[in-house]
Amino acid sequence: MIDRLLEAARSSTDAGGADALWRREERTAIAFESGRLKTAGITEEAGINLRVVSGGRMGVAGTTAATPDLAELVARARASAELGEHLDLAFPVTASLPRVPTFFDRAVNASLDQLIALGRGLAERLAREGCQVNVAIEREVGETAVGNSAGARGGYPATGVGVTAEIIRIAADDVLMIYDQYVGGDLPTDGDLDALVRSIETRLESALTIVSPPEGALPVVFTPAGLSAIVLPLEQALSGKTVLQGSSPLAERIGAQAFDTRLSITDDPLAPGGPASRPLDDECVPSARTALVERGIVRGFVYDLETAARAKARSTGHGRRGVFGKPMIRYTNLIVGEASRDVGAQHAAPLLGGGLIADIQDGLIVDDLIGVGQGNVIGGGFSHPVGLAYRVQRGEITGRVKDAAVAGNVYDLLKRIGGFGSDGRWLGSRWSPSLRLEGVSVARR
Amino acid sequence: MKDRLAAALKSSRADYTEIRVERTWSSAVTFRGRRLETATVSEDQGGFVRALNHGCGWGIASFTSLDALPAMVARAHELSRAVRLDKPISLADTVPQVADAALDLDGDVRGISLAEKKRLIEAYNGAMLAVSDAVVDTQAIYRDEVSEVWYVNSEGTALALLRPEVAISGTAIARRNGTIEKGLESIGLRKGWRSVHGLENTFSVVARRAVDLLDAPRVQGGAYPVILDNELAGVFVHEAFGHLSEADFVYENPQAREMMTLGRRFGKPVLNVGDNGAAKGLRGTLPFDDEGTPTQDTPLIKGGILVGRLHSRETAAALGERPTGNARAISFRHPPIVRMTNTYIAPGPTGRTFADLIKDVKLGVYACGAFGGQTMLENFSFTAAWGHMIRDGQIAELVKDVVLAGNLFQTLDRIDHIAGDFTWNQMGGGCGKGGQSPLPVTEGAPHVRIEEILVGGDV
Repeated sequence: MIDRLLEAARSSTDAGGADALWRREERTAIAFESGRLKTAGITEEAGINLRVVSGGRMGVAGTTAATPDLAELVARARASAELGEHLDLAFPVTASLPRVPTFFDRAVNASLDQLIALGRGLAERLAREGCQVNVAIEREVGETAVGNSAGARGGYPATGVGVTAEIIRIAADDVLMIYDQYVGGDLPTDGDLDALVRSIETRLESALTIVSPPEGALPVVFTPAGLSAIVLPLEQALSGKTVLQGSSPLAERIGAQAFDTRLSITDDPLAPGGPASRPLDDECVPSARTALVERGIVRGFVYDLETAARAKARSTGHGRRGVFGKPMIRYTNLIVGEASRDVGAQHAAPLLGGGLIADIQDGLIVDDLIGVGQGNVIGGGFSHPVGLAYRVQRGEITGRVKDAAVAGNVYDLLKRIGGFGSDGRWLGSRWSPSLRLEGVSVARR
Repeated sequence: MKDRLAAALKSSRADYTEIRVERTWSSAVTFRGRRLETATVSEDQGGFVRALNHGCGWGIASFTSLDALPAMVARAHELSRAVRLDKPISLADTVPQVADAALDLDGDVRGISLAEKKRLIEAYNGAMLAVSDAVVDTQAIYRDEVSEVWYVNSEGTALALLRPEVAISGTAIARRNGTIEKGLESIGLRKGWRSVHGLENTFSVVARRAVDLLDAPRVQGGAYPVILDNELAGVFVHEAFGHLSEADFVYENPQAREMMTLGRRFGKPVLNVGDNGAAKGLRGTLPFDDEGTPTQDTPLIKGGILVGRLHSRETAAALGERPTGNARAISFRHPPIVRMTNTYIAPGPTGRTFADLIKDVKLGVYACGAFGGQTMLENFSFTAAWGHMIRDGQIAELVKDVVLAGNLFQTLDRIDHIAGDFTWNQMGGGCGKGGQSPLPVTEGAPHVRIEEILVGGDV
């Protein structure tokens, strides 16, 4: 399909070149509602995305049609290019690709009954009086092929498995929601499932007592899940796109000590079994590790082909495209943590607080915040009500707090990190331990 | 197409089968800074089959290849049979509907050239860039679509629907040294090309606000009396109460049913809330939902008392209530789930104005515009785009990072005044739930005063 499409593009455009992606996905999903299996479903989807450079301008087009009219697709991409901007886009030539496992037989071969048994086992282990348990399992089998007019070709099959479990406990007017997940290329191991169950149990048990929230500038431990509000501004600032646009606070800071000397951030598409691992990106650029922050020093940004061309940089292999629209920058596996630590295989963290609370006189553990991503994210400031948070007093968790809000600026708070937890884990395609930050504003009613 | 669907439906061996097929034509033009990002025309198509058998669960198949339709009907039946249920799923009765319903295209976007759309959004983007040198980055998006939807089910419903949509949004990033601020405005309409002209000033205001926020202090954290403007009050009712009234949250959970018992008081007598999928000309408006149920105006809170909730056929049957036409899916890739349409806080007494709400507030916050909102059912956030302090009954200095922390049981009950200045706020973006985002919805509200609510920030 890719060859025929590129041939159709070549014969009907000038020498500007083209690249294309074809992707097919088949998903099987089952859902347990209130502990009962309610739904089983499949999704089959295939599509093709074409980009052409015509008259020095770039255009894109895509289709989900089963037997696409290639000439029509090329014409639509050319029409898009007529309005496009000038771009000196160099398509990568053939290169050898790194080996990284993306396809797991166990995941492919799992029958519907096996997936149902997995979900039922999990739902039964989480069942308890007065709690609604919802479990969902999704297994995806996909195939990606990419190619360009410079002769590069690549492709890989991939599997993905997502297991999500949620407990909703309503007692009078108190609503408690606890959620965790496993996301990986292969089916979860028994150990992964044990960790998922214990992770939810630990969070639930510590949440049964409600205590009043503290107030003031306090030490706060952000769990790997609670860390989203802290990491999101960095993800935006370390994107070559915001750097190019002039809106990244880290744009002029390559080589500068912007953060605590223990903080490192790496994007690693080659992490074995990583949820976003793959041998090449959607623009035929071979995958490689990208150091973004090393020991607190800003080292680099992530780029796709277009952003790299405009910024006079090299693509780091972070082009991601869907069926419609043009490639955009997307991180793969983002590793956030202490420079010296290795990335583990843990998918859920049964330990709450990451071993960072022993010397906290009064503070919080934040596991979930509400409204992350809805403020002025690029500026680094955040302010969120807590969704799930625990009070720490004299080194111990004393209970769950409600009706409190945390606020701060990530660029100030990450200059001095109070500690990295021993609970590093995957959460989707991000790996991180808990992080303790000092002087986070905690407001209460 | 209808004949093809009828034939596929006939081949089904399931007790209940529904088929939805969509063909969506869309175009999009995006500017970022001074540069055009993309200008594209796309066609997306696919189908969805859902089957239900007695004593079994739902079997679902979605697919992009329509040639696979007969095979997918069989697959959905098999998947349903694989799900054994002790307590059967039943569907509330509805009258089968046969209709061809085309919403007003108001200038069919399919007949307008991409170049013309580019000119329009380029002008709006230019309006943001022209405001100040401090505007370092912008994003201006024009997007339209016309979706043809066919829906049939084995009870005799057969619908052919035409759903247009046009949306534009502007984001401006202003920067001075280390300080970076954002302005955001979006408009989404279930209309066409004619409805999105003459908005230069809207875009200028967005950029001006981002620049003004550079000099504004962060709001001090704590509990305040807060007045919400119409836009934020709409987001508030969506997050604070809309999601709670979606019956899929309560129908399988006895404790949730108890908490949400009809007749329970949630607010003062001034508070009236509803959801109206049949309102004329709004983004959340549909003649029928994605189970073929006609939409309607559903009162949720009357005089502060819980009086209704939003249903699919399944949740209505489980609770012994009537379907409300709120089963919606964002596309053929998803099953319908209980969703809002056009959710509103009804206006207070005619003639009650913003000035009446503010006059006796000594120290408070006027929270304006919306960056978004999110709920965890009891607790929820809603993020203002900007705010002003209220001092001695007067609007005072501009403040930023105004994020409100709501609690279902406390915040609704602390709404003590509602103005008469109701407006529908046709924002772009949309609502997310169960992996389905963005769903087109509208919110409507007048100015609303909350006696006391937590505002996040430094303390």
